[in-house]
Amino acid sequence: MSKASLEATVDPEKVQGWITQIGSDTSAAVPLLQAIQSEYGYLPRKAMNLVLENTEINASQLFGVATFYAQFRLDPVGRHMIKVCHGTACHVQGADRLNTSLRHALGIEDEKEDTASNGSYTVENVACIGCCSLAPVMLIDGEAFPNLKGADAQKHLVKHAKTKGEILPGHAGEGDDQPADEKEK
Amino acid sequence: MSGDMVITVGEGTCGVAAGAPEITKLLKDRFPQAQFKQVGCIGMCHLEVMVEIATGGKSYLWGGLNKKNLPKVVRFHRGQGDLPESMLIRSSDVTETERSQYLTKQTRIALRNVGQLNPISMEQFRARGGYTAIEKVIKGGMTPEQVIEEVKISSIRGRGGAGFPTAVKWGFARSAQGEPKYLVCNGDEGDPGAFMDRSLLEGDPHTVVEGMLIAAYAIGASKGYAYIRAEYPLALKHFAIALDDARKAGFLGYNILGSNFSFDIKIKEGAGAFVCGEETALLASIEGQRGMPRIRPPFPAIQGVFGKPTIINNVETLANIPWILLNGGAAYAKIGTEKSRGTKVFALAGAIKRGGLVEVPMGMSIRQLLMEIGGGSASGRPLKAVQLGGPSGGCIPESMFDTIIDYDAINATGAIMGSGGMVVTDTKSCMVDLARFFLEFTQIESCGKCTFCRIGTLRMKELLTKICDGHGTLEDIDTLAELADRIKDASLCGLGQTAPNPVLTTLKYFRDEYIAHVTEKRCPGGVCKGLITHTIRQEMCTGCSICDRYCPVNAITGELKKPNTWVIDQKICINCGMCVEVCNPDAILAA
Repeated sequence: MSKASLEATVDPEKVQGWITQIGSDTSAAVPLLQAIQSEYGYLPRKAMNLVLENTEINASQLFGVATFYAQFRLDPVGRHMIKVCHGTACHVQGADRLNTSLRHALGIEDEKEDTASNGSYTVENVACIGCCSLAPVMLIDGEAFPNLKGADAQKHLVKHAKTKGEILPGHAGEGDDQPADEKEK
Repeated sequence: MSGDMVITVGEGTCGVAAGAPEITKLLKDRFPQAQFKQVGCIGMCHLEVMVEIATGGKSYLWGGLNKKNLPKVVRFHRGQGDLPESMLIRSSDVTETERSQYLTKQTRIALRNVGQLNPISMEQFRARGGYTAIEKVIKGGMTPEQVIEEVKISSIRGRGGAGFPTAVKWGFARSAQGEPKYLVCNGDEGDPGAFMDRSLLEGDPHTVVEGMLIAAYAIGASKGYAYIRAEYPLALKHFAIALDDARKAGFLGYNILGSNFSFDIKIKEGAGAFVCGEETALLASIEGQRGMPRIRPPFPAIQGVFGKPTIINNVETLANIPWILLNGGAAYAKIGTEKSRGTKVFALAGAIKRGGLVEVPMGMSIRQLLMEIGGGSASGRPLKAVQLGGPSGGCIPESMFDTIIDYDAINATGAIMGSGGMVVTDTKSCMVDLARFFLEFTQIESCGKCTFCRIGTLRMKELLTKICDGHGTLEDIDTLAELADRIKDASLCGLGQTAPNPVLTTLKYFRDEYIAHVTEKRCPGGVCKGLITHTIRQEMCTGCSICDRYCPVNAITGELKKPNTWVIDQKICINCGMCVEVCNPDAILAA
């Protein structure tokens, strides 16, 4: 599968369902966008248009909100999501190295890109997720991996890709398969 | 054999991240008859996964469990092995170990229940005296004014960072005109490095609900919002369950405990904007708008959410309130210093041996906190500084670790108490890089309303990047200081007013590091990629090849098990530092 096929198919009834459930006045803007994003991983244009047509929220407010908050994104995401924590504790303990090794494994070279060319994984930076004593931390599809070295991140990714049948388009190191933190155990 | 056994597992976010679910599963296999309980995070994050096993009238608290060392504990409890001391935190027989000092040196008021009960059990919360403070207030016939007076006696100041006296704030809203009044719990803990609100919301949500109830009663609010970050899924889940259970038990809704006081709480999920921790921005966000601050006055206490009187209190502040009402304001005021009463929770992280959440009385010195509770440096390298207050705060150098924890004493250093994030750095850190990290953060998080904050932070970030890359000049350092002053003066809200603090404090205490970057083109901490090269110290290299296996760009070549053959190709090397991380004999030099 390529990146172009990552565009989501929007079900208008679902969007209408959220509007009925959450509300259609202007204060519903944030929760509506959250509902859409949690379903599709991003904000598909078609879903945004449905909100505009069926609520009191106008385009200025909706797109203003969608571009203001870090949680929202307008581009499709890969099939799996990696979130690398960049809080202070993670930063001083080398969170950058997680990005370097993950992006190498996924072959993401363009600084502006965050998704592998085959649509397998997206690597996002997130603000502090509050596990500072286990820094550096990353999440793959919501599962947390604590106390990582750069190379461990890559090895967890290789392992994850194997179980999900994903191919990593980049250069995934040549070390053994066991992440260092698991070896110690 | 395991019939009378009760196994309690810490399943806060930290515990889960460290592998608690897997350990629980393994323990269930080994002790199928045991009764399992889950509790929130006790705050000893460095010793996750933590499990308490009670059996035969004795209890043992184990820490740092993983798949490999778990069998030792299992064997011990089956009577087949010796007590594995290295994992024991405390037991009925050994009440004090080096590890348990982490807890015994604390004074836990806000965190009194966290890690002691199942966060979503109303029964356990009630058993620990939960909701008795609100019962005392309502059934005991206390007037709202009496409640405010009790809080005034406690002298508690807002724990979110600014330190404004809570009772004064409540007094404003009490006398404000307009209906309905709103009470907002600010759980938008955006400071990277602070996680006490997360721990409270997920580990003891009912205490926060009770604190909100008392605050609402005091100011006359009928509607409440709990604004909680989306990044805290467990906190959102537990808080929602707590709200449902509180409604069923009659603590939320109409005519609470048979009085004419009615109050209910809605959860608003944050969407990832640091500036929403600022109260007027938070209100805009609740209303469904971009979270941009506005000019005060009018203060939210007079005109807040939807134009109605609104009080915004931080999670930790609210968690202290039930204790204050039950034990009296005077008991709380006895703890701490003249101008900073009570306790403060800190999130200890970074280059520290024992990281986690600690609650200490005001007046304790930073050194005591870091050494006696935190156990000093994790790496053995000397500690260099502690960063307090996140992006709004500053760095306090090791030479000033005797500063006491007190709003005024900390402000005098140029840092701030802030929400209580405490990130420790050792000599292998770069203070210029740390300042750049925070400026990058505030620059991205600036809402863009004020020019100096919007553009000024960008210019500061550019200058810091230039210095970190080795292209800085001495004039750049002066320009940084000048920009810092301008941004402080010309920004509307706390974000801009405090954004330059990380730069100002590092300039004040670590100017020599800036100078080294500029004049010697050297990064003393060995962090800034543009100023370091990685080379192999041949005399220390064992030829194990581990660096080659970990190098993401294959820049390292040599012959296996042959020292003196290994080299790093500088043309390929990206200075990521992964080889340094993995080299066992520490043979790779980053300088």
